[in-house]
Amino acid sequence: MGERILTDDVLEFLQHRVMVSVASRNADHVPSVVRCVGFRVHEASQRMTVFVVARQAERLLADIRASGRVAAVFSEPHTHRSLQLKGESAVIGPLEEGDWPAIGAYGELAVAELGPLGYAETWIRKVFECTPAQVQAVRFTPSSAFAQTPGPRAGARLSGALP
Amino acid sequence: MTPSLESIRACLEGVVPSLVATCAADGVPNLTYVSQVHYVDRRHVALSFQFFNKTRENILANPRATVFLIDPHTAARYVLQVRYLRTETSGGLFERMKAHLAGIASHTGMASVFKLQGADVYEALGIEHLPGPELAPPPERSGLLGAVRHVSTLLASASDLHTILDDVLAVLESDLGIAHAMVMLIDRSHERLFTVASRGYPASGVGSEIALGHGVIGVAAREGTAIRITHGTSEYAYSRTMRERAERHGLAELLETEIPLPGLPAPGSQLAVPLRVSGCTVGVLFVESPQEARFSWEDEDALVAIAAQLGTTIVVLQQAADASDDAPARAEHAPTPRGTPLVVRHYAADHSVFIGDEYLIKGVAGAIFRKLVRDFLVEGRTDFTNRELRLDPSIRLPDITDNLEARLILLVRRLQERGPDIHIEKTGRGRFHLAVRRPLTLTEVG
Repeated sequence: MGERILTDDVLEFLQHRVMVSVASRNADHVPSVVRCVGFRVHEASQRMTVFVVARQAERLLADIRASGRVAAVFSEPHTHRSLQLKGESAVIGPLEEGDWPAIGAYGELAVAELGPLGYAETWIRKVFECTPAQVQAVRFTPSSAFAQTPGPRAGARLSGALP
Repeated sequence: MTPSLESIRACLEGVVPSLVATCAADGVPNLTYVSQVHYVDRRHVALSFQFFNKTRENILANPRATVFLIDPHTAARYVLQVRYLRTETSGGLFERMKAHLAGIASHTGMASVFKLQGADVYEALGIEHLPGPELAPPPERSGLLGAVRHVSTLLASASDLHTILDDVLAVLESDLGIAHAMVMLIDRSHERLFTVASRGYPASGVGSEIALGHGVIGVAAREGTAIRITHGTSEYAYSRTMRERAERHGLAELLETEIPLPGLPAPGSQLAVPLRVSGCTVGVLFVESPQEARFSWEDEDALVAIAAQLGTTIVVLQQAADASDDAPARAEHAPTPRGTPLVVRHYAADHSVFIGDEYLIKGVAGAIFRKLVRDFLVEGRTDFTNRELRLDPSIRLPDITDNLEARLILLVRRLQERGPDIHIEKTGRGRFHLAVRRPLTLTEVG
């Protein structure tokens, strides 16, 4: 610990219209993955929360319960700038105060970001459609960050500015 | 019902980026976007390997990967379990994926940077259809086979290359709704393709050229494989990101000058299908649309079938024109045209021809035009045969397989577009007439 992962650059990037997905793995190292329906940054505590629809993420949630391992990719679709945050002790829980508004805001942000790229609004809303009862929160403290923008430097551990 | 790879082909079109999760030997998961999960066959997919990154490192150590896919029409979500088998660095699949990637790269000047290192082939172990809200699927496509039959019937009864190209492009529009299309043929000796027919552009572009290996058309021709770009805007943006980054990392000097392709200013979809005859590529049928994801794998299937027959028809008609009766060309003198003379200039270096100050054509077609004008001026001849052109030492056709008939089409159309003073009319198979309405002078340069 000690190293600050959510640097000012990372925090600035996460304020863009970024989309998020999350992965884990089981005891046999078989990966699991799902698209998220939102995320929240807790700057003061250096923690992140990503939201998944539980029935789409049964394997992922079981894997996280067992291993605590997560890898979440945040990507700005129109520029392809991407960032991967990894954590080792993620926990799963119900929504807390402020989570559902964040999920709603994420859906609107997806429409604003993906619409100009040619995706139909009805399709975008379908992808992120959910009710509070369906959603689980995955909360973790990022232990490492990696540049993920496509190119020769993709995968480099982040130190300093985002690519 | 368990979904099959065949049933989720809409997800394998690269319309919506897919997610690939892997796991390192030490148990750390990794997640990345991949622009296309390529359909190989009913049991296999391939992912493009472009850079040595964490995903690559992981699958070499632990071959199990999990892919998350979304249907671009219904928003249906699928999870595909796969096992890495091998990386192919040559052969059909590699060439097809490489061409697909190279087509994207060439469009944005990334040809030297954005290279496919290998096609990573994965066995599909299982597909899970995740629960969730979905849109109704689009209605099933109909009429594709009927369109193929329509073109097939036309080609089977074609007797003249000059008209069949336009007829085929007209049916692509009437039956398949493809409003922007062109046919390019290969000039083997110069490693270039030249446009012989087009439809749906403000200027025909007939006579325009592109180097073999450049753009989607040039790469389709070089690799002999169909190239389909289904989401132009997205893939353009993908290349541009890479380019900006490459420039920042000092690779800028490797970037070539961007070569403008004739066609739509902002195509959403492009499909270049090689015309293959006896294992050789003789040209390319190219179609495009401003609409994104306009051409599916079903359109590609239909156009590949059409292109195969079109290629064969072009070769057959070409040979027929060359082998036609060598009836002595009529030596009758045409009435002397009146009016201000048209000055025809011919440059020996590249056979480029200008009429007045207007560029007409160059290369073989330019040499042909010079011969016609010279014979008209010296001997008063107005009727010619393909065969004498092929035998004429001043034209020096590169070899017997050269598209002589296609060069003539080029010349005919360029003259048509230029104006009414001088043009060429077909008078029979392998025969044509030079019609001159104003006096000519021929200036030889160089």
